Amino acid sequence: MAHGNNSKEKVVYVGDTRVRKGNGFITPPDYSAYPGKSEAFIPNFLLKEWMVGVVVLVGILVLTISEPAPLGFPANASATVIPIPDWYFLFLYQYLKLPYASGDYIVLGTLGVTGVAFGALLLAPFLDTGRERRFYRRPIASSLMFLSLAAIVYLTNTAWTEYKHEMAETGQIPEDVQREEKAAENRAKGLPTSSAVKAKEVAIIDKDDPAMGLFKQATCISCHAADLKGAGGPSLRGVGDTHDKEAILTIIKEGQGQMPKMYDTALGAGLSDQDIDALADWLAKQKSEQ
Amino acid sequence: MSSHNDQQDIWPEQPPSRKEMSRRQFLTYTLGGATAFMGAGTILPMVRFVVDPILHKKGAGDFIKVAEISKITEEPQEFTFELKQKDGWYDSTATLTAWIRKDAKGDIYALSPICKHLGCTVGWNNNKAHPDEYHCPCHGARYTKLGKNLEVAPKPLDQYKTKFDNGWVLLGDIVPNTVASEEA
Amino acid sequence: MFKNIYNWIDERLDVTPIWRDVADHEVPEHVNPAHHFSAFVYCFGGLTFFITVIQILSGMFLTMYYVPDIINAYASVEYLQSSVAFGQIVRGMHHWGASLVIVMMFLHTMRVFFTGSYKAPREMNWVVGMLIFFVMLGLGLTGYLLPWDNKAYFATKVTLEIANSVPVMGPVLKELMQGGTIVGAETLTRFFALHVFFLPAVLLSLLVGHFIMIRRQGISGPL
Repeated sequence: MAHGNNSKEKVVYVGDTRVRKGNGFITPPDYSAYPGKSEAFIPNFLLKEWMVGVVVLVGILVLTISEPAPLGFPANASATVIPIPDWYFLFLYQYLKLPYASGDYIVLGTLGVTGVAFGALLLAPFLDTGRERRFYRRPIASSLMFLSLAAIVYLTNTAWTEYKHEMAETGQIPEDVQREEKAAENRAKGLPTSSAVKAKEVAIIDKDDPAMGLFKQATCISCHAADLKGAGGPSLRGVGDTHDKEAILTIIKEGQGQMPKMYDTALGAGLSDQDIDALADWLAKQKSEQ
Repeated sequence: MSSHNDQQDIWPEQPPSRKEMSRRQFLTYTLGGATAFMGAGTILPMVRFVVDPILHKKGAGDFIKVAEISKITEEPQEFTFELKQKDGWYDSTATLTAWIRKDAKGDIYALSPICKHLGCTVGWNNNKAHPDEYHCPCHGARYTKLGKNLEVAPKPLDQYKTKFDNGWVLLGDIVPNTVASEEA
Repeated sequence: MFKNIYNWIDERLDVTPIWRDVADHEVPEHVNPAHHFSAFVYCFGGLTFFITVIQILSGMFLTMYYVPDIINAYASVEYLQSSVAFGQIVRGMHHWGASLVIVMMFLHTMRVFFTGSYKAPREMNWVVGMLIFFVMLGLGLTGYLLPWDNKAYFATKVTLEIANSVPVMGPVLKELMQGGTIVGAETLTRFFALHVFFLPAVLLSLLVGHFIMIRRQGISGPL
């Protein structure tokens, strides 16, 4: 441990700024009593922090107004896109391309060097246990950090340059730029600007078939709706995918699940056996893909 | 500015010299102002973002051409029409059905065929045992020509808002039945 | 009125010492930019927290529109960005804020490192701070996938391949992260859950620890 092995050693707080313990509230020493030495957190010090905060906030707002957050085209496994992570992962991305960090040495790349570097960073206080705080008096720790920083800057820069180069070589434009241009073009023409994939609706096949009228007459529409999309009962669009004509006839005659036997109802509504046959035939043709 | 005042209220009386108090007060006000600015700058865009739906103009004026007035008879007829719905990013087309007729005085009204019992679809004259009535095949609910509930259903059939334009009947939102009560 | 309510609560919970401790503690001269301009390096921790607050708020508001589902995720992001008033700003805050948090946190870490502030007695706070850093990177990684566009999709595939290369555990780890054998619907819901529930919960607990330790141990002294 940092204090050596003697656990009874008194911990020395460097530059102790804690409020002293006491009975109830202790009036902190008035900052004016130590001119130029210290000041209260609220309002004096926090105000300075907030001044910077205000500038940062205005900066963020200006950025969000001038630069919309990028959005490409919907994910598509067969698209050809150079997979590029967010900028702060670029150094890792590039590092894993290096010969000794990829291929046979991939374990060294992912766990070895990266693991050691991040582990060392996490445990820095236990590795660098000296009492010296000034960085120029801690040559090993400081130079390791400078080296890492240089490596990160170098790798990030290389990754970005290579990415730009590859994009130029393959003639690719970043998708978010493409999407924005497309949207702007469509907006100018008054077309929908969305790039989202719309769910395809299964169409009714043979809309003009007389069976459509029979479907209505036989009161099927009460539960399956006039557009076949279903209401109380399930949708019948694309029902031919899973049921052939025989199966449909069986369901009409014997019912299924919640659906009662509808055969007599249909006859009562004025359909003939032939009509019901034609209806089942038409329903069996309802397939989602031609 | 009330928040600063609150803060002042709960600050215990401190007796130091006047000059120091006023400096502290000034800093506190400035800090409060900066905090308020940061809070507002962060929250206001988000609040506007989230209340956007209630600031959108409602599609109350959306009437759809459904049928020619000349074709409407005293016998209820079924008309289907499509309503394009925009639900955020989800566009859909709802197919709606209306039973339209005119009464003896020539007033045209349109009934929604959604049964008020459990939401099945009713049909006109589709049960031989009960002629000239709306009948729901699910649980046998029945309604009169005007949509008045006779059996099973707790309420009369809903109506569409109607408008007439250039010889066409236009239908709008679904509203509770107003004609059924006219029936003696 | 407010005073009475406050007094009523204070009598029962004795809250005054808590906030007076936070409000009135003295900040030493060497971190005050009014005395030494170079002390501005001490502001990055506070800025990280401020931007984190913006991230949490904008993230909460974004979920009012966002759907973690492979069909609707993209459509809802596109909708909230292009059709909802101020959507561009709220999503922009979250997107650019994510980068800014990393920048500020990096600068804060560098300040702590080069001023040697992680030394005794503040070792634990450094470790907690580094854990916060890793959680933030995790938030960046999981959040990147959520719009479900091509860039997000392929970058996530690469990330999962990296996880796959870990010896022994790799394939299990990869399948656990993607919730199946492909990057798809289950990966998206998993990343969403991590991004909005698990990691923020960890982050908040670590932040509380970080701040309590700062108050207990104070700011490190001048060099």
